[in-house]
Amino acid sequence: MSRPFLPFSPTPDRDSRPWWDALAAGEFRLQRCDACGAYRWPAREICNRCRSFEAAWETLDGAGTVASWIRTHQAFAPPLREAVPYVVAQIRLDVQEDLLLIGGWLADRDPVSGEAVALEIVSGPDGAHLPCWRPTGPPAESGAA
Amino acid sequence: MSLRDGVAIAGIGCTPYSKDSGVSTLTLATRAIMAALDDAGLSPDALDGLATHRVGDSVLPAVVAQALGIRDLRYFSDQFGGGSISHAVIGQAALAVDAGLADYVVCYRALNARSEFRMGGTGRPLVDAVETQYQAPYGYFVPPQQFAMAARAHMDRYGTTEAQLGRVAIEQRANASKNERAMMRTPIDLEAYFASRPVVEPFRLFDCCLETDGAVAILLTTAERAKDLAKPPVSIRGAAWGGGQTLYSSQKADTTTTAVTDMAPRLFEMAGVGPADIDLAQIYDCFTYSVIVQLEDYGFCAKGEGGPFVESGATRIGGSIPVNTHGGFLSEGYVHGLNHVYECVSQLRGEAGERQVDGAEIGLSTSQPGYISGNTSALILGRCG
Repeated sequence: MSRPFLPFSPTPDRDSRPWWDALAAGEFRLQRCDACGAYRWPAREICNRCRSFEAAWETLDGAGTVASWIRTHQAFAPPLREAVPYVVAQIRLDVQEDLLLIGGWLADRDPVSGEAVALEIVSGPDGAHLPCWRPTGPPAESGAA
Repeated sequence: MSLRDGVAIAGIGCTPYSKDSGVSTLTLATRAIMAALDDAGLSPDALDGLATHRVGDSVLPAVVAQALGIRDLRYFSDQFGGGSISHAVIGQAALAVDAGLADYVVCYRALNARSEFRMGGTGRPLVDAVETQYQAPYGYFVPPQQFAMAARAHMDRYGTTEAQLGRVAIEQRANASKNERAMMRTPIDLEAYFASRPVVEPFRLFDCCLETDGAVAILLTTAERAKDLAKPPVSIRGAAWGGGQTLYSSQKADTTTTAVTDMAPRLFEMAGVGPADIDLAQIYDCFTYSVIVQLEDYGFCAKGEGGPFVESGATRIGGSIPVNTHGGFLSEGYVHGLNHVYECVSQLRGEAGERQVDGAEIGLSTSQPGYISGNTSALILGRCG
């Protein structure tokens, strides 16, 4: 199985630090609003639905579906020169339809929009731990290429 | 409260568009501004407002004012942002003129986007944005990637094809072939489109806009004052800005629809027109897909029908809604929104020469539809009288 191309380390901010720390500990966590139950991503203090400041971190399996994907051919920064072409996917989490995350792709074939994916936390450069996804089944008949 | 018809565009100016201007952004800005003042027949002494948008890549209004010898800048606006706010800068300047804060305001954009500061990120530090940490680790951080991701979702959902993306580029190149300002004037066909190198699948080179050194300046004043200047005034019939939702707001589940769907109704309402009344549209075309999704979201065709709509020839000069009559960012040059306004004004004045749209009275000019910042903005302009 191919490894995703992970050229840069993330720079956490004060809101996102717990998210990155959880990934380093092997857990995919999201804040869930105590008041209305909505998941928050990226991490932030206030709920954009009910404006509650209360939330708890919940560990999830990170399962989702492919929302879209691209293959980059042009090296937009020097570290990319040896990696192009590479695939990046956009994943829709199962727990809430408006949670769309960019992630690395863990398969030797292209993603197919709508197919189910499972999360795997992959070690990147400088000890970073990054969410990546792999397909859970063979490619759907439509669009496989 | 409505801006409608109280403020007019009285002058337009631009520099040549190139891959290497050889001069500073200050020089580009002052050349375009002087050209706009000359176009209007207005003395530089009358200029009392300057506004721009930039992303750390250009000269700020205070410095331009110093260079032009303007002692007291009654209105200035220096906004950090990309193409999504390009038309809001003009709309907000129009508010200032309408309120009497300043009499003659120039909105400009000056950039050496090929020779100095490339939008694509090549060779410069990563953008300092909240979402960068969630994207850059995967090698995902430039606009062609962000728009390609949305384009693929649109293709998968609505059946939009690569050939339809290509048709956007082909039609605009045909328009550029009749535009002496355009950087790319050699016509292309589908074979050439498919032969152009992949940049970020599903985008090829011809899906992506140019990177340009150049500047554009747009002079605003009241419709009343504009009557006394050299050129026929073009009225600001409608101005709107809005939106704000992105993938990082947890309020947007569908990437195939843009902030334009929220904003366009109030834009049309202010102007007192609908999509069917628009004679030509300069649509923000950082990528081919951006044109297709905006044709849908502004209501020129049904949702999901943008690709077939372009394929039908409707967006050609002579079609039902001529689009990017100058060639757009794909073929004329990329001046971050403002060369669209320049062309819209040229057309409404009847100055567009070989590519003139017959009977052009009302034009739409749009900004980036909101894929990266979430925000968008647009103007509806009209010929006076």
